[in-house]
Amino acid sequence: MSHLSNIVKKEVKELLTPGSIASVLLMVILFACLGGLIGDEVSKSTVMPTVGVVGSDDQTIELDGDEWNAYDFLINFYINSGDKRITPENVTYFVIKMDKGDIMAQMEATGASVVLVLADDFKSSIESSIAKHGTSEESVYKKGSVSQYYIYKPSGMIGGTVSSSITEYLITYMNASLSRFIIGEGEAAYIEFVEHPIKGSKTYTFINGQPYEDVTPSDISEALTGQTMFIPIIIMIIIMMVGSIVISSMGSEKENKTLETLLTLPIRRTTIVTGKIIAAAIVGLVFGTAYMLGMACYIGSITFMAVGGQGIDIGNYGLALGLTDYLLLMVSMFLAIACALGICMILGAFAKNYKSAQTMTMPLSILAIIPMFITMFSGWYGSSDLIKCVLFAIPFSHPMMATEALMNGDVTLVLGGLVYMAVFAVVSIMITVKLYSSDILITGLGQNKYVEKLRGQGKRKR
Amino acid sequence: MTDALVLSEVRKTYGQREAVHGVSLTVKEGEIFGLIGHNGAGKTTLLRMISTILKITSGSIQVYGHDVAKESDSVRHLISYLPEDAGAYKDMTGRRYLTFIADFFATGKERDELVERGIALADLGDKIDYRIDTYSKGMMRRLLIARAIMTRPKLAILDEVTSGLDVINAYEIREVIRSIAKSGVTVIMSSHNMFEVDMLCDRVGMIDQGKLIEVGTPDELKRKYGKETLEEVFVTAVKGA
Repeated sequence: MSHLSNIVKKEVKELLTPGSIASVLLMVILFACLGGLIGDEVSKSTVMPTVGVVGSDDQTIELDGDEWNAYDFLINFYINSGDKRITPENVTYFVIKMDKGDIMAQMEATGASVVLVLADDFKSSIESSIAKHGTSEESVYKKGSVSQYYIYKPSGMIGGTVSSSITEYLITYMNASLSRFIIGEGEAAYIEFVEHPIKGSKTYTFINGQPYEDVTPSDISEALTGQTMFIPIIIMIIIMMVGSIVISSMGSEKENKTLETLLTLPIRRTTIVTGKIIAAAIVGLVFGTAYMLGMACYIGSITFMAVGGQGIDIGNYGLALGLTDYLLLMVSMFLAIACALGICMILGAFAKNYKSAQTMTMPLSILAIIPMFITMFSGWYGSSDLIKCVLFAIPFSHPMMATEALMNGDVTLVLGGLVYMAVFAVVSIMITVKLYSSDILITGLGQNKYVEKLRGQGKRKR
Repeated sequence: MTDALVLSEVRKTYGQREAVHGVSLTVKEGEIFGLIGHNGAGKTTLLRMISTILKITSGSIQVYGHDVAKESDSVRHLISYLPEDAGAYKDMTGRRYLTFIADFFATGKERDELVERGIALADLGDKIDYRIDTYSKGMMRRLLIARAIMTRPKLAILDEVTSGLDVINAYEIREVIRSIAKSGVTVIMSSHNMFEVDMLCDRVGMIDQGKLIEVGTPDELKRKYGKETLEEVFVTAVKGA
């Protein structure tokens, strides 16, 4: 067995313990369950809410022998809503007549999410306004008012936002229905014309210089939400994971006092450094893949919420990545991991023990989190020049923004990033080898001549 | 007799502080050389420089004619270093640990022979297949000394090899050191236990504040200072009384 494979085998065995595997599996299961829970919450929030109606019997609008009733409208609307739970037989469980008494008690008793209360003058206002048809003075037309009652329950961002927006949507349709009733069904087409005399005939969006029909930048952004969120998070997790593995490994070597023995074995320092880096990369990729699977379930449900389940096929707009693009992405990811390992080996050299090693992962975490947030919120192309400089300088940014760049056909940015990361990785590994050949690994910074000089100056100043 | 270890005006400084101050010394092949000195005297720093893990600020160290600074890879093939309070990889078994180390020195049958020798030296019985984190301090020390010796180094560097061990374990480890020296291995060891050094070492070097203040056989030193024990010699030499 070669010295390198002996070191790699030892490191991998040390890192892939039953405990570490169990904790990663647990995390994956947690992510998957969380995704399932969010998915359930989203689907609950996007179905028709149970609605109560107050005053519909007293406030029936009468016109030329016909009647319009808010409760009847809602019954019809719910039956035809497409919500598979609702049938003509059970619709009255979803649309409930209520009285003017204790609305909150009735809501709690029936489980209604919202109650629509027609004002006492709802009928009279609308009917008197209809009677005054032909008057040009705006103030004579009085609209019927409908109040909405909710009970606030802490249900997170999804539950609250979606249920109130569905009620707004109900009121809009109620308005349209009443308009048709007032003007007469025969005039419905004319009303539609009067309300929307301008037709947005076609939408064109230029994507990478090519015009595409019937798609807006917003549609594209929504379709890419999953990728723009997913990739930076995964890369951040992998970087933090491999970083933590390497630094902790160094901390353990020092704490268990095995480092000195390792350094006196007949092997080159570069072999020790390379062995530790390869082992951390293998374990990091194994753990990263596991996290990726868990995150895929989690992000999948969020994406569903964001696009309402109606995605567009980005491949139709020339935005799908080809084989070369995926290869570039993989190289970018590999180099980012190499950079992370280089940084961590440097940081790990200063770790005194396992505990101090844990705190040393902080700079790496910050370097991984900054580009993740920037790429998620503004991306490379939406950032200022200063932010672009920061993004480019942090090696982990490059795989995070590579997808966006490749979709935009900006291969120069990706290749530039690859060259930068390659140089960064080589330099950091060279520094690591230098550190492994120096006294710092054994004595720490406390006995470094430069640190002692600084301390000396500090003392003199005091 | 061949010179196993030659130190010439060896210095080690950390910033302004001088940890080892111009130490010169020769250890012959097959000799057991003891380094004694109080805490922080520079013993461990000296042993670490011989072991290639600390850089020499000035002077030179030669192990069997190989310069430690310039030929550290060659030197590491000749030496075996056992640091004070050294540990082993706790998730490995004793056997796996010995195999891991032996893999750096030999392959195939030769490797297996080294491991078997290590197992015999450790003398842990069936505990050799137990995880190291279940070992007592004495068992751990036996395993580590077996690790250090099984590879048949030409120079064994042992730092406080019996510190913290009970009488039986310390005795057995001293017997192992004596037997390997008889087989031609040169040993340089540090210890606070003057009795141990007196019994075990052919020659002794006394270090104080990074300087080698005395070198000689235990009997020579006792005669020179007119004392009965090495402990008295050391106290007198250090305090100048």
